[in-house]
Amino acid sequence: MTSPLVEMRDISIAFGGIKAVDAVSVDLNPGEVVGLLGHNGAGKSTLIKILSGAYRADSGEIRVNGEPVSIASPRDAKRHGIETIYQTLALADNVDAAANIFLGRELLTPWRTLDDSAMEAETRKVMGRLNPHFRRFKEPVKALSGGQRQSVAIARAIYFNARVLIMDEPTAALGPAETRQVAELILELKKQGIGIFLISHDLHDVFDLADRVSVMKNGRVVGMARTGDVTQDEVLGMIISGKCPAGAVPGPGALRG
Amino acid sequence: MTEIAPAPAKPVQGDTSLDAASTGSRSLADHLREIEFDPRMIGMVAALAVIWLGFNWLSGGAFLTPRNLWNLLVQSASISVMACGMVLVIVTRNIDLSVGSMLGFVGMVVGLIQVRLLPELWGFEHPATWVVSLSAAVALGGVIGLLQGALIAFLAIPSFIVTLGGLLVWRGAAWWVTQGQTIAPMDSRFRRLGGGIEGAIGTSASWAIGLAICAAIAVASFAARRRRMRFGFSLRPLWADFALAGLGCGAVVATVMVANAYALPAGIARRLTEARGEIWPEGGLVIGHGLAVPVLLALAVGVAITFLARRLRFGRYVFAIGGNPEAAQLSGVNTRKVLMLVYGLMGALVGISACIATARLNAATNSAGALDELYVIAAAVIGGTSLAGGVGTIAGAMLGALVMQSLQSGMVLIGVDTPLQNIVVGLVLVVAVWLDGLYRKRLG
Amino acid sequence: MFRQILLAAGVAMAASGGLLPALAQAQAPAKGPVIGVSWSNFQEERWKTDEAAIKAAIEKAGGTYLSADAQSSPAKQLTDVESLIARGAKALIVLAQDAQAIRPAVQKAVDEGIAVVGYDRLIEIPQAFYLTFDNVEVGRMMAREIAKAKPEGNYVFIKGSSADPNAGFLYQGSIEVLKPALDSGKIKNVGEAFTDGWLPANAQKNMEQILTRNANKVDAVVAANDGTAGGAIAAMAAQGLAGSVPVSGQDADRAALNRVALGTQTVTIWKDARELGRNAAEIAIKLAGGAKLTEVAGATSWNQGPAKQAMTALFLKPVPVTQDNLNVVIDAGWAPKTAVCQGVAAGKVKACD
Repeated sequence: MTSPLVEMRDISIAFGGIKAVDAVSVDLNPGEVVGLLGHNGAGKSTLIKILSGAYRADSGEIRVNGEPVSIASPRDAKRHGIETIYQTLALADNVDAAANIFLGRELLTPWRTLDDSAMEAETRKVMGRLNPHFRRFKEPVKALSGGQRQSVAIARAIYFNARVLIMDEPTAALGPAETRQVAELILELKKQGIGIFLISHDLHDVFDLADRVSVMKNGRVVGMARTGDVTQDEVLGMIISGKCPAGAVPGPGALRG
Repeated sequence: MTEIAPAPAKPVQGDTSLDAASTGSRSLADHLREIEFDPRMIGMVAALAVIWLGFNWLSGGAFLTPRNLWNLLVQSASISVMACGMVLVIVTRNIDLSVGSMLGFVGMVVGLIQVRLLPELWGFEHPATWVVSLSAAVALGGVIGLLQGALIAFLAIPSFIVTLGGLLVWRGAAWWVTQGQTIAPMDSRFRRLGGGIEGAIGTSASWAIGLAICAAIAVASFAARRRRMRFGFSLRPLWADFALAGLGCGAVVATVMVANAYALPAGIARRLTEARGEIWPEGGLVIGHGLAVPVLLALAVGVAITFLARRLRFGRYVFAIGGNPEAAQLSGVNTRKVLMLVYGLMGALVGISACIATARLNAATNSAGALDELYVIAAAVIGGTSLAGGVGTIAGAMLGALVMQSLQSGMVLIGVDTPLQNIVVGLVLVVAVWLDGLYRKRLG
Repeated sequence: MFRQILLAAGVAMAASGGLLPALAQAQAPAKGPVIGVSWSNFQEERWKTDEAAIKAAIEKAGGTYLSADAQSSPAKQLTDVESLIARGAKALIVLAQDAQAIRPAVQKAVDEGIAVVGYDRLIEIPQAFYLTFDNVEVGRMMAREIAKAKPEGNYVFIKGSSADPNAGFLYQGSIEVLKPALDSGKIKNVGEAFTDGWLPANAQKNMEQILTRNANKVDAVVAANDGTAGGAIAAMAAQGLAGSVPVSGQDADRAALNRVALGTQTVTIWKDARELGRNAAEIAIKLAGGAKLTEVAGATSWNQGPAKQAMTALFLKPVPVTQDNLNVVIDAGWAPKTAVCQGVAAGKVKACD
């Protein structure tokens, strides 16, 4: 069996004595969508921030393609092809789409100055795939709609040939049409062999898109299940009460007895 | 990757007009945006024109004379230079209250170097004295700035506090350098940095510089046009390119003409003529001042910082940090280092300003630069820099400095005394920020 | 690592800042009349000169010098005065940081029978002695010297800070002398401006505008001090006028003395801080010995303060320094000859040869 694209083993992190993430293990295969579910404060966002380099785990191991790697900063994560789309979008509101997409990885001319024209041209290409109606290349992203901003954030993640995409509440700020658009996009990226972690506190957003779900509660994994093996209600039970149904593999956080 | 949505039309020429067409009629602002011109800049220039014409009328024509305009530019040079750095500081959502005190301290050290230290090594009036002084000022200012920046960026002490401390520390240090004594006079070559007769480069050199700038503007706009053509982007209408380049070039030529029209006082003109071994003609001779060194220095700083802010990674990061510090950090930007460097740059610019101010006064005094921090911040803010961070232009800040200096000089010219001057400048600051806020709200 | 170094540097700076004044305070009192001096702020250079003079005069008379520095804090000065009394001072010399705020402490000292000399700044309590240079007289002297050099023509007045009452006294003195000529039209006031914060750079800008307004037709400048004079002279240098237009000043700072030697400034009024200090010490010792305020030699009655209290005061006469008597400051050791005469051509100025 080939090793998973990403594997997080026994990851723990504590803030001021409180274990936000406690011995959590998750994995992700190429072309797979894994939903990370749980209430607010269950530890999902903290877990993925460890993977994206924003936090450092106190203990545990991260493997990419079976190789243990050290991720100490967002730069490290990006080097391993791990891109993140944050809940808060993490866009600099005052600069345009191209500047955001290339932030930290600007294209330069031979004289080491910013090659804005090249960046704009590339932006037009990548945005053309994601959101063909997008026209406002010269305006600060603050002037854009929620959906347009979301497509800028996604463009930034996929432009650099991501192999692993982490999406934190990707549809939280969007209307139904835009949500549908993002869903289509996820399926498309999946087809291209990109592995996706989909983080949400809303089950319905995730269930149809994900191949597997991992449910977290109080910083620990309640259980992991293939979406074909469990019902939405059973997963809801895992989120709310921590009870692991028959179709799921129980984790250390599962309710016992 | 394959297309996930109906294939879009290829990025086509004139797609901005497509967009605009969908929103209906086009406003003047749309037109201006199309030629990439900030409407707020026009507002500033209009305000300046109103102020100038108003004072000219009130002073019976004394304001719009070559002499007064020349003075005005020299008077605002020191604040303009610092305002360039302050824009970057404020864009990162920080502030620097210490610049005035730093100017005092650096100015005292520069005075000490060229009046007490270097003469002991080389004697007075050595040709290298001014270079050493200027370099020392920039280096000292830079180091102080980096130190303050490190405290702000790495120890996470709020910039307001660090630089408020700096305001006290450097003012005290300025006194300490000579126990409060004024140092004078300065080296005569150094004095050119401050303007005056020695600091005017003369008419032919002014034309040479003016024409060189014109040529640079033409080359730059041509290069920009070609670059956009290479990527097949929509182009500005050709007339707009020509109009913009013409406008820039016209402003440069007008400045040169004004500076050249300001004649040297007859006595000095005669002395200079005779010193060159020429004969002073019967009816006298008109010799123009030409551009002033501090003004050229300020312009050079303005161009350099604009380049830095718009064309280099560093500048991009500065603005990104101002827009969303967390986003910048998550994108892999070393925000702390950038922040520290911004303060280092601010300090280096204070060093240049310290030289301009010291050279202009021909004396280093420990009170130099008092309250300059407020004028520098006001210039940046009047020039459209948002205290909330992320927004600001260098050209705007320099115009802001000119607006404030115009108000102050104009009021002295018509005989309004200091207390009332301060009232007017204070009101203008508040109104300018209010108008800017209104404009922004309408835009957003 | 970087953080630790920064922290350590910060701690070291804070520690040295706190320790030094403490060490400086460690002085052992001896026998003899004890005179306490309460300083407003040692940050300013000139008070160090005053202190040396006061200390020397007290020690010469066999007394003991005690001091406290309020570091610009009116509140600290109140406790300073109390602690000086507690340490056995029989007379106090007080350089008030705030003329109003110091009143309760001085009142208390006076009530306890301790003599108080208000040093340089007015403390308006009739039982306290007031010793200062006569600022109105400084203004008069400046005007006299300028009028001597240019009896008629266009005059410019570069005044001090509008926030400083002394600026008013100076201007008042100058106008008093020039009034007859102003009234008769021999002298014309073609421009006057306050100098915000006494800043030379502001004086320079104001002078530039006044020159522009008058198309350089300016014949004399009465500047309130040497700093503003320096600014005005820099502005005139750009018009080739420096050296041909008389300019006044005061303080006899080194840069100004050099300008006087070079001929770009006409006069600087010298207020010898050592003279002020010596007089203060002598008066304090005399008062500590039980003398009445009016028994001080040269004391006059004066009631021109804001509250019009009848004060007993001694006004020292300042000395106008011009090119002709530059040797006075050099001989007195006020300023070294090398600094005063830097750049002066041989044979031009007597004091520099």
